[in-house]
Order: sequence, then C-alpha cells, then structure tokens
Amino acid sequence: MKTKSKFRKKDLAGWLVMVPSLILFAFYIWQPLIENIRLSLYTAKRYELVEFVGLDNYVRAVNSPDFMAAFSNTFEYIFWSLLIGFLVPIIVGILISETVHFKGLFRVGVYFPNIMPSLATVWIWSFFFTPGDTGVLNILLGKLGIEPLMWLTDPDMTIPLIIVSMTWKSAGATALIYMANISSINADLYEAATIDGAGIWQRTRYITLPSVFGLAKTLLILQVISVFQILQEPMVMTNGGPNNASISIMMLMYRYAFRDFNFPVAAAISVMICLVLVLLSGLYMKLTAAKDE
Amino acid sequence: MFFDKYKEKKDGAIRGYDIHSPSVKLLSVILVLICLMIVAVCAFPAVWVLLAGFKDIREFRNDVTIFPSSFDFNKLKETWDALKFQRYYLNSLISVAGCAAAAILFNGLMAYSLGALRPKGYKLAYGLVMWSLLIPSITSIVAVFRNINMIGLNQSFVPIWLAFGANAFYVVLFKQFFEGIPQELVEAAQLDGGGVLRIFTMIMIPLSRPIIVVVAIFAITAAWSDFLLPYLVLNGSGNETVMVKLFSFKDTPTDAVSVLRAVLFSIIPPTLIFAVFQRQITDGAAVGAVKG
Repeated sequence: MKTKSKFRKKDLAGWLVMVPSLILFAFYIWQPLIENIRLSLYTAKRYELVEFVGLDNYVRAVNSPDFMAAFSNTFEYIFWSLLIGFLVPIIVGILISETVHFKGLFRVGVYFPNIMPSLATVWIWSFFFTPGDTGVLNILLGKLGIEPLMWLTDPDMTIPLIIVSMTWKSAGATALIYMANISSINADLYEAATIDGAGIWQRTRYITLPSVFGLAKTLLILQVISVFQILQEPMVMTNGGPNNASISIMMLMYRYAFRDFNFPVAAAISVMICLVLVLLSGLYMKLTAAKDE
Repeated sequence: MFFDKYKEKKDGAIRGYDIHSPSVKLLSVILVLICLMIVAVCAFPAVWVLLAGFKDIREFRNDVTIFPSSFDFNKLKETWDALKFQRYYLNSLISVAGCAAAAILFNGLMAYSLGALRPKGYKLAYGLVMWSLLIPSITSIVAVFRNINMIGLNQSFVPIWLAFGANAFYVVLFKQFFEGIPQELVEAAQLDGGGVLRIFTMIMIPLSRPIIVVVAIFAITAAWSDFLLPYLVLNGSGNETVMVKLFSFKDTPTDAVSVLRAVLFSIIPPTLIFAVFQRQITDGAAVGAVKG
C-alpha cells in the first residue's frame, strides 16, 4: 500500500478544506441524481417510499395522455430552435465583426437581453404576443395596416414564437462567443484570399464560416441540451396550451411533481430526461475533445 | 472620417484595404445600420415595459399607442405599495447576498483544494464535479426538494443560499484561476507553517480579486433571476423573492398593468448591475455561455 503510506497531513488538510463543498455537492447534485432513480422505482406517500414497483412508473409516465404531446413537442422545439436559434447568433456575430463603429454599443446592446431575468422576459413576450387589439405586436402590425394575428393562441405558431422569444434572449450572448472566435482567425488567410481575387462575400463564405464551424457544432449540442429543459416559457406564456400544443417534457415533470404530488412518476420522467442529456453530453465531450486535438 | 477607421480593422472578411472601393463603403454603412437595428430590437422590449408601466389599465387596454399619455411616477408608486414590493425587494436582497457569499466561499474552497493543494486522490473529487456539469440541476429538482423537506429546511433562505455553494461551473472558473497562481507561493507559505485556511485568506483571496468579481456578478444575476427552487421553498412563507412573486402571477389573476409594473421593478437591479459592470460581464460572456 504505497499510496496509503504517502498520504500525509498535507493531503488530509486538502480534503478537509473540501468537505463543506463536497457535502453541498452531495446534497444538491449527486445524491438527488441517485435518489431520483430509486424514487422512480417505488410508489410513495408524499416523501416516504412505500413499495417497489419496478418500471411501473415509467409505464405510467409514457402512457399518460400528455406524454406523447410533450415528447413530440420536444422535437418540434428542437427543430425550430435549430432553424431560428442556431443561425441568428452566427449571423449577428459576423455582422458585428465586420463593423468598426459603435462596437462597444453593439456588444453591450446585443448582450443586454441576456441579463434580464428569464421570468421578466417571458412576461414581456406574452404581452407582445397577446392576440386581439391590445397585443403590442398587433398594435405595430395595425400601424402597417395588417390584420391582428392570433399569436400564441394559434397552435401552429405557439412553439416557433416561444423559440423566437428565447432566441431574442440568448442570441446576443452566443454572438459574442462567435465574435471572439472570428477575431482569432489568422489574418493571412483573408489577405491570401484577397490576392487570389476573392471578394468580401467569398471570404466570408470560404474563410469565416468554415472557421466558426467547429465552435458551431459544439454550441449546437449545448443548444439542444438547453432546449430539452424548456420550462418557464410555455408554463407562463401558454400553460402548455392551446390544447397541449406547447407542453414541454420538463413541464410534464413539474405537473406530476408539484401539481399532483406524484413524485415517483415525476422522478421517472426526470430519469428519462437525464439519460438523453447524458447521451447528448457524451456527444458534446467527444466533439470538444476532437477539437482540442 | 467615417471610413478611415476601417484602416485599423484587424479581423473579419472586410480588410482595411477594401475600403477604397465605393461598393465596400456602401456596404460598411449598411452594416452599421443593420447592427443598429439589431440593437434596437434587443432594447425594445425593455423600453416598452418602461413606457407601458406609465399607462393605467384603461389606457393599456384601449389606447393603441406605444407612448403613455403622461409620465406620472405616482402610478408606479401605487403598484409598488399595493403589491408590497418593498418586501419582495428586501427578501431578494437577502437571498442574493447569501447566494453570492455561498457561491464564492464554497466553490472557492473546493477549487483551492483542487487547483492549489491537490491532495492525494483529488482527481476523484474533480471528476465527480466535472460529471455534474453534464446534468443540469433542474432535472433533479424533485429529489432536491425532497431532501430539503427531509431535513426540515423548507420555507427558509438557507437551502436557497447553499444551493449556490454547489456549482461546478464556478468551481471550474476558480480552479483555472488558482492554477495560474505560482505554486511556489503556496509551498513557501506552507514551509513557513501557514495553515491551509490561512493561506487561503492571506494569499489566494487577495490575489483572486478579478475572478471573485466575475463569479460574484454571475452569482448575483443568477440568484436574482432564480425562481423554481425559491418558489417551491419560499412560496407562502413570507420570504418570497421578487421572482417568486412574478412566478405566482401565473396562478393568481392579476391585472395586466400590475404584472407589467412588477416586471419593470424586477429588471431594474440587473440593468443597473449591467450598466456598472458591462465590461466584466461581456468579457466573461465567452466563458460563461459555453457552459450552456
């Protein structure tokens, strides 16, 4: 036991320093993860486990009428967030990178929505998307002579609009990451391309875009991971409606846990979400590791 | 001159030498205009809340305008008093202060051990911390809430504060910074017989002001915006924070103007912090957002 004999007072002190933080990590992160799995295999009365039921809670969760809606909505959220939320920050990042004036204003301006509390922005956007004459966007449309729209009460528009509001909030912060990436591109590349007769559009297309591609791949996965956790946006803006058109999987979990107080089924849903997230994170790690090589 | 500034441009597809051509000149003007429009879109919702907050309910429902008829601060004051917002501000202040303190103390200590002391087997603890970066804590909210109830800390600020003490992302930020502090400093202090906690307070903390500021800003804005755990733990306790109040509007019918003004009150503190620390925040953004 060579390692044990070398374990000195210094090492003990190092571990003692960590103890309070380790307890907190255990209490808030590690134990709950395992507890969730255990909870999902039992029936419970409030917080007390009653009886081992195997995978029954999973079956109940999957068979609940809202599960299929939440499940397919998740893919719809991902689809729209990739279509809107993924491209906007790249475009904004490139546009700001190509300017030389008011750069400080642009950086601060696009980052501003990100510091607003998410609940506040969710409320603001639900006022914007109010159907009828009093909705802010309908007022703006009215000035252009366009008929008022149904906005969030139109099931086909609900998810895209929620994604628009989320993109508004997060795109600026992501654009700053792309800007940092763009400013690190080797200037010789652009100059060599110019000598070869490439115009500005071609330089953007063949130098800037391929250079941010690696970063875009990893941010893409992070985006999908965060879309899986959509909760407050549909909860406040639509309460999952109209007719379950925007209910998210996290929202379903929240309803089981804190509306019905059915913790085991809620835990079963969390475990399923965790499994997906672990898979996605594994993919993310693989991509970032490949980038470092 | 407007275009002369382009000569100093060091990044991006448009280079300083392009600006001689008239079409590039035109393009650069268009780009500035587009970016100004983007900033306007980013700012509009906040500006709108500010303006709409001065409307009364009739004006809000019936008048199809963006600007209010008058800027009467008494209207805001009425809502502030009617909702007893002072109490929510105070509760938020208590919550945010505790969260920031816990975030700096506990994650800082953990990172100090992982980054500077490196006791035997520290890699195991580090691995576990990194592993928890992968799974967002919101997914285990049920079990966390159960834990809090089991030890009887429901309805108190303590579990909200301590939740910020277990943040893998802050640990990583601190650890990266501590690794940049020369190991000899720590070793020399150890040879002089300094205890580990003494080295932390006398050497690490004074040298780590920049990262402490960054983590403090992150923690303060995150704690101010945090609503799910605070709602579950604090709702109905008398300790509700501003966000708990905003969240509970969804279940209690409230007139639109009151909600709107509450939203306005809720964005003032983060906006002030952003105005003061915009440099640190936008510089930290590149690090911060990668966490997802």
